Amino acid sequence: MNHVRLQVAKARARVARLGFPLRAAPVPNGVEPPPPMRHTGTDFETDWARSQPARVARLALVEGVMRPVMSVVASPAVKGLDRLDRLDGLDGLDGPVIFAANHHSHVDTPLMLTTVPEPWRHRLVVGAAADYFFRTRIGGSIAALAMGAIPIERTKVGRQSATLATDLIGDGWSLLIFPEGGRSPDGWGQPFRGGAAYLAIRCDVPVVPVHLQGTGRILRKGKKLPQPSRTTVTFGDPLLPGEDENSRTFAARLEAAVAALADEATSDWWQARVRAHAGTSPDLTGPDIGAWRRVWALGDRDRRARRNKRHWPEL
Amino acid sequence: MSNGHLAPRPGFVLDVDRTSPPIVFHHGEGFRLEKLPADRTRVIYPAEPLEGLTDPDGAIRSALLNPLGDSEPLPALLRPGMKLTIAFDDISLPLPPMRRPDIRQRVIEAVLDLAAEAGVDDVHLIAALAIHRRMTEDELRHAVGDRVYDAFAPSGRLYNHDAEDPDGMVVLGQTPHGEDVQFSRRAAESDLVVYVNINLVAMDGGHKSTATGLSGYTGLRHHHNVHTMLNSRSFMDRENSALHASNWRMGKVLRDADVKIFQIETTVNNNTFGREGPLSMLQKREWEWSPKDRAGFLTMQQGLKLMPAKAKRKAFSSWLAPYELTSVQAGEVEAVHEVTTANVYRQQLVPVEGQTDVLTMGLPYICPYNVNSIMNPILVMCLGLGYFFNLYRGKPLVREGGVLIMGHPTPWEFHPVHHPSYIDFFEQVLADTTDPAEIEKKWEKQFAEDEWYIHLYRTSYAYHGAHPFYMWYWGAHALQHLGRVIVVGGDTAAVRRMGFQPASTLQDALEMATDVVGPQPTITHLKNPPILMADVT
Amino acid sequence: MKALEFRRNVPRFAAARLAGSLTPGRGASVGPLRLADLEPPTAPGPDWVRVRPRLSGICGSDLATIDGRSARYFEPLVSFPFVPGHEVVGDLDDGTRMVLEPVLGCVSRNLAPTCDPCSAGHLGNCEHTTFGDLEPGIQTGSCHDTGGGWATAFSAHPSQLHPVDDSFSDESAVMVEPTACAVHAAILAGVPDGAVVTVLGAGTLGLLTIAALRTFANPRTIVATARYPSQRRLAAELGADLVVEPDDVRRAVRRATGSRAVSLAVDDGAVDRLSGGTDVVVDCVGSSASLTDALAITRPRGRIVLVGMPASVSLELTPLWHREIELVGAYTYGTETLPDGSTARTFDLAAGLVRAADLGRLVSATYPLHRYRDALEHAAAAGRRGAVKVAFDLRDEKEREALMEMSK
Repeated sequence: MNHVRLQVAKARARVARLGFPLRAAPVPNGVEPPPPMRHTGTDFETDWARSQPARVARLALVEGVMRPVMSVVASPAVKGLDRLDRLDGLDGLDGPVIFAANHHSHVDTPLMLTTVPEPWRHRLVVGAAADYFFRTRIGGSIAALAMGAIPIERTKVGRQSATLATDLIGDGWSLLIFPEGGRSPDGWGQPFRGGAAYLAIRCDVPVVPVHLQGTGRILRKGKKLPQPSRTTVTFGDPLLPGEDENSRTFAARLEAAVAALADEATSDWWQARVRAHAGTSPDLTGPDIGAWRRVWALGDRDRRARRNKRHWPEL
Repeated sequence: MSNGHLAPRPGFVLDVDRTSPPIVFHHGEGFRLEKLPADRTRVIYPAEPLEGLTDPDGAIRSALLNPLGDSEPLPALLRPGMKLTIAFDDISLPLPPMRRPDIRQRVIEAVLDLAAEAGVDDVHLIAALAIHRRMTEDELRHAVGDRVYDAFAPSGRLYNHDAEDPDGMVVLGQTPHGEDVQFSRRAAESDLVVYVNINLVAMDGGHKSTATGLSGYTGLRHHHNVHTMLNSRSFMDRENSALHASNWRMGKVLRDADVKIFQIETTVNNNTFGREGPLSMLQKREWEWSPKDRAGFLTMQQGLKLMPAKAKRKAFSSWLAPYELTSVQAGEVEAVHEVTTANVYRQQLVPVEGQTDVLTMGLPYICPYNVNSIMNPILVMCLGLGYFFNLYRGKPLVREGGVLIMGHPTPWEFHPVHHPSYIDFFEQVLADTTDPAEIEKKWEKQFAEDEWYIHLYRTSYAYHGAHPFYMWYWGAHALQHLGRVIVVGGDTAAVRRMGFQPASTLQDALEMATDVVGPQPTITHLKNPPILMADVT
Repeated sequence: MKALEFRRNVPRFAAARLAGSLTPGRGASVGPLRLADLEPPTAPGPDWVRVRPRLSGICGSDLATIDGRSARYFEPLVSFPFVPGHEVVGDLDDGTRMVLEPVLGCVSRNLAPTCDPCSAGHLGNCEHTTFGDLEPGIQTGSCHDTGGGWATAFSAHPSQLHPVDDSFSDESAVMVEPTACAVHAAILAGVPDGAVVTVLGAGTLGLLTIAALRTFANPRTIVATARYPSQRRLAAELGADLVVEPDDVRRAVRRATGSRAVSLAVDDGAVDRLSGGTDVVVDCVGSSASLTDALAITRPRGRIVLVGMPASVSLELTPLWHREIELVGAYTYGTETLPDGSTARTFDLAAGLVRAADLGRLVSATYPLHRYRDALEHAAAAGRRGAVKVAFDLRDEKEREALMEMSK
């Protein structure tokens, strides 16, 4: 072993002795080198993932792998799809739409990819955290191919990703964004960031609020193995930014809409409407109290997974 | 060809000559192609479907905020602590049932959203089915949507009207004609009753929605009887209908009893089978069928031949019509109904000149009382002689003493759960007599008060014991007007039991008709569905 | 003397059973019945007289015998060979017209003292039908010694004969015997005033029972089942308030009694049996199906009167037990006790009813003896062929005159 190490060290030393042009020239002092071409993060090139062959491959993945897996681990109940018909009166039934959902888990994206109805599903891109999914080229390629992911900054919409998203919406692509900017750390939601609202205002397209319930139980942040559990996907009434709304107020309205959907998923539509109008929808982000008490409080509003084990012996 | 770019064409009257194609007749769960005699036949074609509203939800909201008549906007009528009752039309509307979202769901959600905004807590939703069968959970879910159902049904705040609940019904008074006005107690005690209607034909809506839909046998017998039927020319024409006059009198009693009603009426176009899709040819004119339509029709005919009756019934009853909302109006009942009727007429009215000797019609697989059920012979009679015959304004399409020929398989078959009293009506009452007046006098009361029927109506999914009587009365005007009724392709025994004549083909039927109206009679064919209403001058 | 004779012949009996099961009435062609030329009957006793039938009816029990369907129960109660026929109007040698009351009780058998039922006037219940001077036979028409009505002559005991008023047609007279059965059943049914009675079957007996119930009881409603249009019409004419197809009887009785239905599946609208039901059922069919119907529609502590001859049936008796239903048979007649306590001969009551309701019209067809096969097939298919009572007409038989001559 030592012998091998010695040989490697010797080879290195030999290479180090080589000079330009056999080696790259060092940057002279006082000269500012050009920035390196990045191919990861927001610079990750995803055009290819929207080419016809890639879309076919994605379709096969979504229908052939994700859907069966989702039906086993998430058994989703999808509600409120009929509300999407109301897009007819806003924007036309096949125009691009931004879907804005709360985010608990890695299961959320495949769940949405399998539950967003046609005609949006086949032209859907997913805003994915540039610093997470697109950190490496391999990881980014997988995300772009499997989910149709495009890189988006978590905290604010940068110029680059905004242009990309705007162009795609202009081309008729719909966009799925998780405005919380990341998965929930403790089961409670996080405040909505302005990205989805900003894009909706900039492109003048409707936003469909979506609430995902129960995915946190399947694969909470920090967990490695999924635990099958029932989920509910609730689509809300499409929202258009008002004349005098900015991305902050519109984002707040979006958050309220998702909160009302969350309320609807855990109580019923009527109570949710009553509370929404009264401004008393339960907060997505949870009470501002200590960590354990937050988890404790979560138990009240999170429906327990129904047991589907048999209670009698198999005969 | 009809398409989205051209304005929908109105209905018209085709004079049949030797070059005219055979006409498609609906025939229960099937179709017949019939060649009609040249030079003395006319076919009344319905108008093409009107364009639907592009933003139904916006239109509904705007109607609620801008009511007609002397009504305040709905939000002004809602306040915390009030009792609100929302009543809605039952499974008999629209026909066939429409695709989701049902109009009732759209309207009810809009109303409830306003109620939630106003902080109204005490809300009940009632399927205003009078003495029809109760709606199943699936049917209620289809009508009001899952969200509303899940929010209200489990806590018992969404339910079927029960006209035989001794504690749930109340008589609010009498009209000057001595008619008892019976009403749902919950609705009567509410601060506001919102009625959500779908107006498929001109008979629906107005005071009939509440005075009939939330009433019971005690109230209904005053207008659902032979006398009003014989004096309604036709019951589709409110101005000339004794049925409606009685309902309007009852409406006044309701108003005087301080029952505040906010009426929401909607109309749909006649897009029954879709502008595209497997059945779209059924609402096209035969000469405009594309090769695809023709191939589709032939395939369907072959397929139907191979299918057993039950499978056919299932296939047809799974069809959901892509109806589109053409208007919505809300506010004071009479003002609303005025506009509604005009909107129904806008779609359905076809001007026709003069009467003929013979009226022909092909009856479809569905009528208001056999949704998800079996179209039994009594319902065939009611659809042909009740509904279709009465789809006129002015005078009937067929002259007095003329002949009505209708095509339907008329199976001697009854749905045991939905129509138990019909079975007895057919076996006992019709075996005794087919004269509506005599039936009313001799049999109605004992059927209406039969405890078992009442039990099944209240706890199962059965039409009330009095319902088959009303079906028969619905045809009273036609029975009195016509010289003969011939049923083409029906079960012979069942047709005879009803006092009609069976014929195996339309040609035979036309031949038989000459016994009554003489040789070479003039013929009118009512092309139907989609529904049309003849404006006969 | 021409007669239709029924002999003991096992192979032919089996053939009749087979043929009769395929086509009712066909047993006449292949069975033990034959048209024979017999010696005129000799009087079995000193008082006996000769009767020359004018009309002789075909009864349901005759058809059962001919088609080999009758129960083995009857084997000791008949004596072979015999001439069938017990619904008879005929002439005595002195020309008096008589109706036969066919039961062969103690008096005709020359037994003294008479058995208890005979003493009480209940001839039909005689305990001694196999004893005495006569060979076994419960009635004329099943006893070798007396002969029977399907012949140009037979012997009768004076106690069996009732003179016929001149105003009676032969057709009316021949209906008196079956009417007496119906009257007996109607009275035995013990119908409470204002009750609902259901009569199953609208053959001769069913129709006559309806008429008898209208006269000798005071029911609120009579529900009747009838399969054929002519039967339906007659049932309504004779007093049924509601006439329905046999399959609809449960629904009809439910309607008439205001009961609720009990469905095997919960409230699916099927009427499997009734919560309450009719007070009395008179079953004039006697099959498993009709008795099952009867048990489904009789109210608790109600009564089922079995008039139709049943043979062997299979039956679920739980309702009989649970609802404490009475099941009684009604065979023939004798003396009736009327509601007011008075007694009367059933035959006299029957004759009155025949006259009042003009029951002679129920004789729909008559045949000469030699066309017996046609006659029996017609009788077996009476309902379907729009007939009620089919009878042999012996008035035109040439032998009648010859016999008359011989006796002089």
